[in-house]
Amino acid sequence: MSRVIVVTSGKGGVGKTTTSASISTALALKGNKVAVIDFDVGLRNLDLIMGVERRVVYDFVNVVQGEATLKQALIKDKRVEGLYILAASQTRDKDALTLEGVEKVIEELKADGFDYIICDSPAGIEKGAQLALYFADEAIVVTNPEVSSVRDSDRILGILQAKSRRAEKGEDPVVEHLVLTRYNPSRVNAGEMLSHDDVIDLLSIKLLGVVPESQEVLNASNSGEPVVLNDNSDAAQAYLDIVERFLGEEKEHRFLTEEKKGFLNKLFGKK
Amino acid sequence: MSEKVIELKGSVLSLTVLHLHSADINETKAALARKIEQAPSFFVGIPIILEPKIEISDPTFLALLVEYLHQLQMIPIGLRSQDPMIQSQANFAGLAIFPEDTRRPTTKEKKDEQSADKQGAEEPQNYAPVVLDEGGLKSALVIERAVRSGQQVYAKDRDLIILGSVNPGAEIIADGNITVFGKMQGKAIAGSSGEMEAKIFAKQLDPELVCIAGVYQLADDIAEEFKGNGLVEVKLQQEQLVINHI
Repeated sequence: MSRVIVVTSGKGGVGKTTTSASISTALALKGNKVAVIDFDVGLRNLDLIMGVERRVVYDFVNVVQGEATLKQALIKDKRVEGLYILAASQTRDKDALTLEGVEKVIEELKADGFDYIICDSPAGIEKGAQLALYFADEAIVVTNPEVSSVRDSDRILGILQAKSRRAEKGEDPVVEHLVLTRYNPSRVNAGEMLSHDDVIDLLSIKLLGVVPESQEVLNASNSGEPVVLNDNSDAAQAYLDIVERFLGEEKEHRFLTEEKKGFLNKLFGKK
Repeated sequence: MSEKVIELKGSVLSLTVLHLHSADINETKAALARKIEQAPSFFVGIPIILEPKIEISDPTFLALLVEYLHQLQMIPIGLRSQDPMIQSQANFAGLAIFPEDTRRPTTKEKKDEQSADKQGAEEPQNYAPVVLDEGGLKSALVIERAVRSGQQVYAKDRDLIILGSVNPGAEIIADGNITVFGKMQGKAIAGSSGEMEAKIFAKQLDPELVCIAGVYQLADDIAEEFKGNGLVEVKLQQEQLVINHI
C-alpha cells in the first residue's frame, strides 16, 4: 500500500525541503521505494538539495501536462537505492499544475509500486500548497519554534482538516505529525524561542521529532547532499530518529536540552 | 449598536397548495364552494399557492380565480407552474412565481387523491411542514477538537461548547452561550443575533476579542487577573462587558 505524505508548513523558510529530502532519503535507506515530488513550481529547490539539478531533463509540469512520461521525468538517486526525485519546473508558475494532472501522477506512482510518495509543498496556503496536500494520507508539519511559524502551521492544519481529499470524502482524517526544526535549547532557556512544549500545546498534534539548529544543515544543502547522509551530525541523527518513529518505532526524543560540553570537547574546541 | 430597522432572513414555511385539475372556471368555483362549506372558518385568511395540473388556455382564468378566492377570504400569494403562458397571467394578477415541486408524491398525497372530489378543484393539501425553527429544545453544538487559525464555527440559534482549544486567529460564534474547555485564544462572539443574556465561559481565557450581543472588548482591555487564570464568566451588564471568576 502506497502512502502519500505531504511535507508542509504554511510559512516559508522553515525547512520543508530539507525535511522532505532527508525523510525521503532515510525512508529509502530503510529499504522502501520512495518518490519525492517538488510542488514548488517556479521556485524549485529540492533538486538542488538532493544534488540532482544537473540531471533534470523533464519535470513535474511536463508530466502533468502530458509532454513527458513519468518514467522520463523521474530522476534516480545515485547514492541511495530506491529513491526517485520528480523536480519542479523553474520556468512555469503554479497555475501549470491541475488537480487532475497531479492525481494522474500520484496514481501512476502508486501503480508503479512506490511505498512512499513525499510531496514537498510550497510555502503559503494558496493553490500550490493545497494541491500538494490534497491527496495526502499523512502530513508532516514543519515548524520553527517561533510564534509566526506556529501560527501558520495552525492555519495549514485547519486547511488539511477541511480541504484534503480525505476530508472532502469523509474518510479517516489525514494523520498529522509535527517536526520542529531549528531548535536551539539554549535560546529556549534564554526565552528567545518557544519551547517544544509550548508548540505542542498550541498545535495539539503529536511530535515526530526535533531537529537541532545546526551548521551542518546549511553545509549539506550547499553541497547537494541530504543532511541525513552525514552520519556524524546531530541533524542526521534527528532525521533518522524521525523516520524510525514514523515507521512505528518507540524512540526517546533527543536534542531537547542544552548539551553540556565535555572536558575533551572544551579542550579541542569542538562545537 | 444602532437598532435594526429591517432585516432580511430566509425561512422555510408551510403553505397550502391548491391543485387545479379543471380549466373551466365555473366548475372550479363550484368545487371550491363545496369544499369551503365543509369548514368555512378554516379557510379564512390562509395564504394559498395555485398549482395548475392541466393546461389553462382561458386568459382570464387566473384573474377570475384570484378574485373568487379573495371573496372567500383566502389570500392567493403565488403560483407554481413552468408554463410561460400561465406565468404571464400570474404577473398581471400580482402573484409570485414559485419553482415547480420536484418531490415525488407521498403516500399521503395518493390517499388524498383517492378520496378527493374528482371533478373540479382538489382539496387544498397541507404538505408536511418543513419548518426548521419551531422553538423547543435545541441542544448545544459541541466541537470536540481544537478550532484552528482561520477556522470559524457558528452555532446558529444555539449554544456552543468547545472541548479543545480555540487557537489565535480562530473565530467561534454562537447565538447562545459559549463554553470553552481548552485555551480560549481566538475571538469569541456570543449572542450574535442580539441575545443580551448570552454569556461566555472559559477555563483559560486569553482571547483576541470577546463580544456579547455586539458589545466587545479587545485583549488589551481585559484585566490581566482574568487571563489564563481559572474559570471565568463574561456577561453583559448595563451594556458593559463584565468578567468574573466563578
